Amino acid sequence: MSSQHPPAMSKPKTRSSQGSHTGIYKPDAVKDTADSLSIPISDSVASALASDVEYRIHQVIEEAGRFMRHGRRTTMTTSDIDQALRVLNIEPLYGHSSHNPPTFRRALPFPQMPSAGPVYFVEDEEIDFDRVLREEKIALPKGVSWTAHWLAVEGVQPLIPENPPAIPREQDGEPGMNGMTGAGPHLNGVGAKKSVASQQQQQLVKQVLSRELQLYYARLTSSLLPPSADTTKRNAALASLRNDAGLQALLPYLVRWVGEGVVNALGEGSQSESGGKVLEVLMDVISAILENHTLFVEPYLHQILPPILSTLLYSSLPPSHAALLRTSAAQTLSRLLTQHSTTYPSLSPRIMKTLLLALVSPGKGAGTREGAIRGLVGVGKEAVRKGLVESGGAKVVGSECERGVGEGLETAVLDALRSLQPQVESDMSDSLDQSNEADANVYNHLRDVLGDYFAERVSTDAAWARELANIPIS
Amino acid sequence: MSSQISTGTPPASSQSPTVASPPAAVQDPTTNLSTSERVVLEYLRARGHGAAEKAFLEELETGSPDDKGKQPETIGAQDLVKSLAVFAEKPSRPGENILNESSNVLQQLNSMPNPPNIQSLIASIGSVGAEELLSLDPTDKQEGYRELEAWVDGSLDMYRPEFRPILFPIFCHFYLDLIQHGYKDAALRFFSAYSPSLSTSHTATLHHLSTLLLPAHVQNDELAQRFRNEKYAIRMSRSGFGLLVGWLTEGVGGEASGSGDGFTGERGKRGRAAVMRVVNNHLRFDVTSTNPTAVSPHAWEESTGLFSSLIPQPNASLKTLTNPHVFNASKGDLKLGPAPISEELRAEAERVLREQAMVDRDPTTPFDIQVNRPMPGPGMIAPTEADMLPRPSTFKTIDVEREVNAVRDARKRIRLEPTVLANVDADSPQAAALRARALPSICAYTLHDVAEGSPCCTFSQDTSLMAAGFAESYIRLWNLKGERLKGLRSDFSSSSVKDPASLQKIREKKGTTTRKLIGHSGPVYSVAFDPLSGSAAPPKYLLSASADATTRLWSMDTLTNVVAFRGHENPIWDVKWSPMGIYFATASRDRTARLWSTDRTSCLRVYAGHLSDVDCVQFHPNSLYLATGSSDWTARLWDVQRGSCVRVFIGHQGAVGSLALSPDGRYLATAGEDLAINLWDIGSGKRVKKMTGHTASIYSLSFSAESSMLVSGGADWTVRCWDVKSAGGLRAKPRENGVIENGIRGYGEDENSETVDLLATFPTKRTPITNVQFTPRNLCLVGGVYQSTESR
Repeated sequence: MSSQHPPAMSKPKTRSSQGSHTGIYKPDAVKDTADSLSIPISDSVASALASDVEYRIHQVIEEAGRFMRHGRRTTMTTSDIDQALRVLNIEPLYGHSSHNPPTFRRALPFPQMPSAGPVYFVEDEEIDFDRVLREEKIALPKGVSWTAHWLAVEGVQPLIPENPPAIPREQDGEPGMNGMTGAGPHLNGVGAKKSVASQQQQQLVKQVLSRELQLYYARLTSSLLPPSADTTKRNAALASLRNDAGLQALLPYLVRWVGEGVVNALGEGSQSESGGKVLEVLMDVISAILENHTLFVEPYLHQILPPILSTLLYSSLPPSHAALLRTSAAQTLSRLLTQHSTTYPSLSPRIMKTLLLALVSPGKGAGTREGAIRGLVGVGKEAVRKGLVESGGAKVVGSECERGVGEGLETAVLDALRSLQPQVESDMSDSLDQSNEADANVYNHLRDVLGDYFAERVSTDAAWARELANIPIS
Repeated sequence: MSSQISTGTPPASSQSPTVASPPAAVQDPTTNLSTSERVVLEYLRARGHGAAEKAFLEELETGSPDDKGKQPETIGAQDLVKSLAVFAEKPSRPGENILNESSNVLQQLNSMPNPPNIQSLIASIGSVGAEELLSLDPTDKQEGYRELEAWVDGSLDMYRPEFRPILFPIFCHFYLDLIQHGYKDAALRFFSAYSPSLSTSHTATLHHLSTLLLPAHVQNDELAQRFRNEKYAIRMSRSGFGLLVGWLTEGVGGEASGSGDGFTGERGKRGRAAVMRVVNNHLRFDVTSTNPTAVSPHAWEESTGLFSSLIPQPNASLKTLTNPHVFNASKGDLKLGPAPISEELRAEAERVLREQAMVDRDPTTPFDIQVNRPMPGPGMIAPTEADMLPRPSTFKTIDVEREVNAVRDARKRIRLEPTVLANVDADSPQAAALRARALPSICAYTLHDVAEGSPCCTFSQDTSLMAAGFAESYIRLWNLKGERLKGLRSDFSSSSVKDPASLQKIREKKGTTTRKLIGHSGPVYSVAFDPLSGSAAPPKYLLSASADATTRLWSMDTLTNVVAFRGHENPIWDVKWSPMGIYFATASRDRTARLWSTDRTSCLRVYAGHLSDVDCVQFHPNSLYLATGSSDWTARLWDVQRGSCVRVFIGHQGAVGSLALSPDGRYLATAGEDLAINLWDIGSGKRVKKMTGHTASIYSLSFSAESSMLVSGGADWTVRCWDVKSAGGLRAKPRENGVIENGIRGYGEDENSETVDLLATFPTKRTPITNVQFTPRNLCLVGGVYQSTESR
């Protein structure tokens, strides 16, 4: 009965739409059944029978509804219908289990009988026993298990995976939002919340600079770089960058601007005066950015470092600015490391590696070597020791100095080594005494690590030499 | 106070007042026959009723000339009426029905110069036909209902909430009348035209009525027969009632604008007559003297409906009780205080407590058992030992342990004071701290991988065991502490058992933390652990109720079924232990609740009186009374020993699905399919308040140990906490332009909004909550089956 006429199983929503037709169960269906049993019945009888059948179906459904309710379900199953039929003293319908609810399919409409409406039938799958027996894939279902979790702790719902995500307060208080009947009100709440979150993310990405900031950016960049030669203006701009709050939104643009500026300056007019000036300003900009406490620079470190290191290690900086540029770049690097190496422990080793490569690897220009040494000084004392003494940087540079490449390099090395000089009260310093056996040992050791060129120069100060040779002061 | 409309006179006599001629005038038939025929024929022709004319002519032709002597009587009296009735069934011109003007016909015929035999004919039509015809006319009812609705909608805002409840019973009666007389099409048209405007709270009833399509259905259907045989009670203020009577008799007042000639015309009168007939025969008005605006918005629920069979009728008095409050008052006071405890047990428990206090070196802890026992509140009578159900005169060790542990639990209980939240702004900083004081901690036990559903689950009082009944007819038991469940073996000689140690020896060697109990042959709808050992020890017994109409007792020692209690004829929906153990009660589809004791296989008492399934059952904390909830939309309280109904709680607009009694014995909370929780004062039988907020069926209710908080769980996947003591009521709506919206939402509207006493809502992911219960220390445990997304 129910299998033949599934529309009766659903609630009579279609009633009003069907207009003149009375009831859901059609007299035609009764007539069809009568015809199949070859019992002639009149229209009125068929209509009355249809009404009665409909009433009986409703009776069964009403009864089944009770079983559904007591089964603590919101969906009626075939077992409910079975139970209902049983208590109504009707033989149950066999062959319908709630394990695999029957799927109804809609037949193609009959063109010759448009009045018949949609016709549904049960999909009857053919099972090939041979195949089923061969495959032997009958798995036992998992047994029932339980889990326990805190739904609320002293009136507060903990945010754990077992609980649904919290619904925003406004929504909670608004009965209209989750006041819908039936199952699944929270799902809607969750969905709404998710969409809100993703919206916020999209807004973050798409965030547009305010008009004021755009103006500020244009003014700032134009006043910093030549052709504007007004130093007061430039200083004012740098001061603003150093101290003003509220520039966070500009930071990505500024960082990119600096990076591009450095690339351009080094690429094109590296030998020219103007290129040097530009680089100088850009270094100032970077240090100003780093000095501004209101800016959150960390996400942009990977973009800030390349311009600094490029300036530091570039071989052919304009000679007039070279020393100044390398010093300021090294200072900036130093500042950056002191500020951020605590949060990024891998930062200094990585920079060290770059600098060492520039210092030791053959075929680098004097400028690069000098920059690397200044960078090492910027990184710190230990870096200098490691780079110049332990990795033999001084040896490499010393051999190049012997060939007479430039005194800038020599002073740089000595400056760097001097940072390792112990603090001695007396200005007087005696040189290493070659005759003294211990001092001779130190000198030999120095020659091993620093090379002849610098060992000679360092040996003038015994304490310094001993420190470098890592021998405690006697 | 109830009254009938005394002004309502039978419509027939009011419409044919002139017909007063004596029946003696029917003596000279032959002479004027042609004249009377002609008059009738002329009239029919003039009005254009061809079919009726033809029928009339046929009647005349079939009559042979020699029969003419007796013809006038037969044709005139019955056949003409019949033919007119036939005509009425198929109105050829809807809107201008002949019956519409039947009184006109009579009047016109009267006004003509008539010979006496015509007068007699008219007289017979008047007295026999008119009322019959009127009640048969389908369009009349449509018209009458339309006018009534227009009148109600057009009435003053002040009266509208009072008048709206009238529409529903009149609608039902009209529909049933139409079906009864075989006008199926007209009935369906009537239904589709007017049912949408009726209140949503009647949807279930309306749907049920809409399934009745043949006269036989009306004859056999229970609800229809209740409508037919019982009076539908409606409460109305005196002034409102006066207006209604005025409209019914005179058609005055409340005309909707643009409704044409209003209600004063002939058709209006006849429609009103149809309404009047229903009002007179099937409605009963409780006329109150209160101001209509002073009534609370949900008051109609308690005073509107078919009452006379819901309220048990005392046999002695002839007068039928129609007011639940009158019935409740007539049953006298109840003994709602805590059950007495035997003196020896009390002394023993106190001794144990004192000893323990000495051992703990904490002599300050109160060991007086009475301190921690609930005291009867003001106005509550405590039962004496003589009132109690019979129980063993001696007590056992487990009884002492239970009492001792109850004291300990009371000492360590988490105090929940929802009242502190009453006047606190939710956003204020101290709100969080107050919430912690007011709201419980809830631990949710979720069942996974349940194939066909688990209708019930429960936790033992010592929280060591959880039992769940399944649709696949078995019960599963879990040890929540992770200990193995080991039953006693059956293969042992009883002589070897001498002491507890040897009893341990015959336990099963192996065991798991879960056990399947098989025995039922239908879905298990309820399980309950025995309360005898309280929180001191694991329970000894488990009861289960199933669709196979048996209740089974399972021993937790052997982990087997020991007794099957048979007696119910139909599926058993619920089983609950009495708080003192030994006794238990069941609720069944066979419309009875029954009392059983574990040592007898047949029931001790049958509580009959509900008109539909008894869906849930629960003992009063002192075991003297039994509360039942039913699909007849009522809850009842029964005297356990006498088996009589002592209270009836009317107010739900749907089946009562679950109930709970407060531990202090004062309140009853019921949850219905109308998604509302009603709180009742048991003593007076009156509703304290109605709590709404759930959006789907409510499956379980539980009071906290102090009776200050109610927790509910349901099919909407939420657990909600309610403040028992606060006044409740709907949230004040923002008023627009200072207009108070109070009046209109009085009847069946605004059902889904949350009342202010809803303290908190805790949603689960996808778990309908089938059980909610408090431990003795006020921790809340809830259980449910996770509904995985792919299954159904």
